[in-house]
Amino acid sequence: MKRVIQACAILCAIVLASIPGRAVAQPAGGGPITITIAGPGSQLSTIAVSGLKNLGGDDDHRVASAFVGTLRRDLELSGYFRIIDPHAYIEDPQSSGFELGQFNFADWRSINADFVVKGSVSASGAGVKLTAFLYDVAQQRRMMGKNYNGDAGDVARMARRFADAILEAATGQRGPFDSKLALVSTRGGRFKEVYTQSIDGQDVFKLTGNPTINLFPSFDRSARYLLYLSYKSMAPALYLADLKEQREAKLDTPHGRVFGGTISPDSERIVAAIERGGATNLYLITREGAEIRQLTDTNGINVSPAISPDGATLAFTSDRSGSPQIYVMSLAGGAPKRLTYRGDYNTTPAFSPKGDKLAYQSRNNGRFDIWTIPAGGGEPVQVTDGNGSNEYPSWSPDGRYLAFSSTRGHNSRIYVMMVGNRKIISALTEGNGNDSCPAWSGWLGE
Amino acid sequence: MIPVQRGRGGWVSSRSTIARAVAIVGVAVMLALAACSSKKPASIGGDNNSGGSQLGENGVGKGGGNSLEDWKNGKFGAQGPLSDIHFAYNEYTIQEQDSSVLKSNASWMQAHPQTRVQVEGHCDERGSEEYNIALGAKRSQAAKDYLVTLGIGGSRISTISYGKELPVCTEHDESCWSQNRRDHFAVSQ
Repeated sequence: MKRVIQACAILCAIVLASIPGRAVAQPAGGGPITITIAGPGSQLSTIAVSGLKNLGGDDDHRVASAFVGTLRRDLELSGYFRIIDPHAYIEDPQSSGFELGQFNFADWRSINADFVVKGSVSASGAGVKLTAFLYDVAQQRRMMGKNYNGDAGDVARMARRFADAILEAATGQRGPFDSKLALVSTRGGRFKEVYTQSIDGQDVFKLTGNPTINLFPSFDRSARYLLYLSYKSMAPALYLADLKEQREAKLDTPHGRVFGGTISPDSERIVAAIERGGATNLYLITREGAEIRQLTDTNGINVSPAISPDGATLAFTSDRSGSPQIYVMSLAGGAPKRLTYRGDYNTTPAFSPKGDKLAYQSRNNGRFDIWTIPAGGGEPVQVTDGNGSNEYPSWSPDGRYLAFSSTRGHNSRIYVMMVGNRKIISALTEGNGNDSCPAWSGWLGE
Repeated sequence: MIPVQRGRGGWVSSRSTIARAVAIVGVAVMLALAACSSKKPASIGGDNNSGGSQLGENGVGKGGGNSLEDWKNGKFGAQGPLSDIHFAYNEYTIQEQDSSVLKSNASWMQAHPQTRVQVEGHCDERGSEEYNIALGAKRSQAAKDYLVTLGIGGSRISTISYGKELPVCTEHDESCWSQNRRDHFAVSQ
């Protein structure tokens, strides 16, 4: 029985929940400073992420390396920054200071850094204290600073939070990196298993270990609960994993076979696709699987439920028009409204965090691309580039990015793209096997 | 542009060759073999991981049990006493040429009244995983309904869908897709 979930990922989540980063007091006379940097495009802002000054206990630089490495990767993944190669850095972080006035901006201006991150670390036992600042090199001013206290295992998450804060300071909008990605992968062999990882590819955690079929992971907003479909009992069933308590329950769904489901953002309810007599319809059910209400009623196929962030609206795929198309309806009931008319195969809708848009996959010439459409209806916009088959869009918590699976490379991988300028930024997964069904959680601890 | 080869790759492909050869041998041979080896029941559709249902020893005639069980055990692709039927793309209506196959399957079930059959619906790789699971359910239900009209008790027939998860052939063209769009009939007692 693979009921128990490994301890590490859970412990980290618990500990970290109790160590929110605290803003360092702003310089006298200044409130929070926000500048708007150019959107990601041909002209990226340049940023140097300096090593941290060791104030004691980090002589082997393990803490500093974990922080700096994670931060550089996240800033790269943001699509806003070009990271200046550390080999070009002139200043020695240990011999210089990290506070305003304790180092020379010329050392950073001369290597063409628009921004520089500096900070310090002190470690004792398992405890870590970390301070980091973001400086605007041209203006020679401090833009933002944070203090973090926690355990050695929390350092990568401190970096993710700082990356999110840098994006907030530089773009006016918090970054998406203090979150989780769930996905399905065959990397362990020929079986599809569910994994979770950080967006930057660390903390890879294999949730399932059954040699059958596991599909469609979906998080609640806090990323504490993960719902997925598994054939591990030799018939498809939904399982709700509590990542904090390290346990899961098989949903005792209403009469019929369950083919998929999604958990509401508040984790209180589930919409499941359940088949009776060959027809698959959507049902609102409890976390335990008890039927609250049947939502669709056709003799055909109704699948791929997605719940809006406010919990009021359902988007789904139905073949009621003769081909798979996307519909929206109130979760309270009522007639569905058809959203997609372009193309003969539109499916896997996902609500943006604001609830104003849906991303979905639409087929053309046998392959899919990701499109977006206003949730109330309107003109669809293609956002992926026709390279490979691009499927299963999932929004970042800040709504700027989409994770999706793509066959553009040798294997199917999860990629991240910026929606606004349609830039494919990077693959988020690696290794053998094929990766699919990404689900990007909300910010952790919320 | 040819889509990337999926991970299950050659392993299933090689099996599919066997499956195809077996299918070509024909229904009559299948029926004869199965009649000779009609023991070895296995639960199907139950909530457990208990063993598969192989009806024969090696090669032709083995398997024919639950596809997921066979796949787990590396025996996937073998044919049992009942023959598969196939579907048009994104369709779940029984094709005319398959009505004779279903009649043969029904005859076998009538000659083996202690057996139960699980109809597995399968799809080709095109389209989303979830939609294909629902489509496979339609396909398995269509065969069940047909068998019931031929006089087989509905209680002897269960259904399950594997969507596009268990292809017998993994090339990315119609020659494979047409094999994968199928109902497979797994027999137990």
